Amino acid sequence: MSKYQAGTYTGEAPKVWPAKVNQIPKEIFGDAALFEEELKKIFYGDTWHVVGHTAEVPNIGDFKTFDLGRVPLLIARGKDNQVRVFFNSCTHRGNQLETSVSGNRKEFECPYHRWLFSLDGALAACPGSKEFAPDFKQENFGLVELKTDQYLGLILVTMGKNTPPLKEWLGDIVPLTLSALLGGDGRLKLLGYQKVRYVSNWKGYNDNDGYHGGLLHTAFRMLNFQGGSGSQPMSVNGHWVIEAELKPAQNSGFLNDPSLIDFKVADPKRGSLVVQLYPMTVMVKHMDVINLRFAIARSHDVTEVHYAYFAHEDDSEELVQHRIRQSSNLLGPCGMVSMEDAAVFQRIHIGNHTPGVAEFQKGVVSLSELSLDMKQSDETGNLPRWEHYRKVMGFKREGEQ
Amino acid sequence: MSPVSEALSSTSTTDKAAKALLPLDDFTWNSWSAMETQWRVERLLSRYVACIDEDDLENWPEFFTLDTCRYEIITRENVERGMPLALMFCTSRGMLVDRIVSLREANIYPQRWYRHIISNVLIQSVDAECLQVQSNYVVLQTRRNGQTDIFSAGKYLDRIVLSKGELKFSEKRVVVDTHRVDTLLVAPI
Repeated sequence: MSKYQAGTYTGEAPKVWPAKVNQIPKEIFGDAALFEEELKKIFYGDTWHVVGHTAEVPNIGDFKTFDLGRVPLLIARGKDNQVRVFFNSCTHRGNQLETSVSGNRKEFECPYHRWLFSLDGALAACPGSKEFAPDFKQENFGLVELKTDQYLGLILVTMGKNTPPLKEWLGDIVPLTLSALLGGDGRLKLLGYQKVRYVSNWKGYNDNDGYHGGLLHTAFRMLNFQGGSGSQPMSVNGHWVIEAELKPAQNSGFLNDPSLIDFKVADPKRGSLVVQLYPMTVMVKHMDVINLRFAIARSHDVTEVHYAYFAHEDDSEELVQHRIRQSSNLLGPCGMVSMEDAAVFQRIHIGNHTPGVAEFQKGVVSLSELSLDMKQSDETGNLPRWEHYRKVMGFKREGEQ
Repeated sequence: MSPVSEALSSTSTTDKAAKALLPLDDFTWNSWSAMETQWRVERLLSRYVACIDEDDLENWPEFFTLDTCRYEIITRENVERGMPLALMFCTSRGMLVDRIVSLREANIYPQRWYRHIISNVLIQSVDAECLQVQSNYVVLQTRRNGQTDIFSAGKYLDRIVLSKGELKFSEKRVVVDTHRVDTLLVAPI
């Protein structure tokens, strides 16, 4: 029987969600007005957002610019070696301060009226200040810093007033995998970026980038990557952690040059580590590839992702070369084994402009309660994040008071 | 210098050649005049892009030398920051073949057509073994719905050698200006 009842489709997100925990209303992917609500409640709300890693700005004066929703950020390493995150906006008239994506500066100068900011954000000079308003005090006009915290070099910010401390927000389970993913101590070296623009809602990207059953990726099967065991320990606050064994492909006959998929230092028992931090950051260690995906929700139908790849500071040159080759060929929007993801993000976004619900099946054991017992290839790992999203956004379920 | 920094700062031979833009109007290479060499190089490039545009990708590895070769698509952003990560990076003929097998048999992606436009073919240096050649490219992408967009703009930095009477790439470095990929990159450029 069809799930669709004629006459109910508006394209707008419904106020009330289905009672079944495995059903997601498809309209939430294509609703521009809902995106404005998400900016307020999620991106500018009481949650932490990953905006970079300190290895992207390794030297004093290094900076990168990034966006949190529509808010421009400036991430800079000061003379005291501290990495700070500022709003990328001059404190005078609000002009965008730094226009480059990255670089190295001695200070940041706004070209509009030549206000000059030091690397720690202090207003160092502002020509003509004798004629400024009577209440002007130079020390009050430093760059505005966001509330920032770090985990093994991972830089997180929040604009919310009631965001819990980072340690509490991450919970107990995330750090067990995230620390291994970040090389144990976070002493990483940036190898470079692959940047991509997806015509997809950020939730559609997020729902499919972290992990899905291996059926999509033919190459995984051809390389015999699916034979291992794994776990999906649940976490708090909509985060998701996956650890899976990857059996090294031996003489599968698929590759003419199998050196590409050697394990040099990665332990095949923990061959695939995925940490997905709510709302939209996916981090992966797959074989010897260390890949942090810094994502930006541009609009209800555009998501930009900066795939940043890393080596560890202690790596030998041979290992660095191996990581470069593996990182440049396997994952991401050009990767031989998972470029399907990119195609699927777009198709999901197109397909979700239809009535009804997206329905999770594999591993669902109850329609009224979320299962916390997940096997490696269950798709139910997405559901706790959806439940967290639903609550943050204030959607009620059918029958809920 | 730590091994990591060394690895990061190493540059390929084509980069070094690119810095020396010599006025190379008159030379002889393998008994060919400068004009004939230029003509042969342009023929090679035209055949190379026709192979991709006509979806004859099984023959694409044949444009490279058999023993050692290097094919790389890397963003200008990464190059200018001294970072080695690429979008595609093949260091053997086997890896070139693997790319094509993968896109034919394993990968799922929407059908689209590529159309390469090449210009400004400039032989930068000549020695007994090889030619260093720079050229500009644009790839137009046409989707199933008939819409055509500029998918990628950039330059080729090629090391071309004579192998059994035929010109082949021993190294092809595609430096991409368009560093934000539109959805995905499947086929070589």
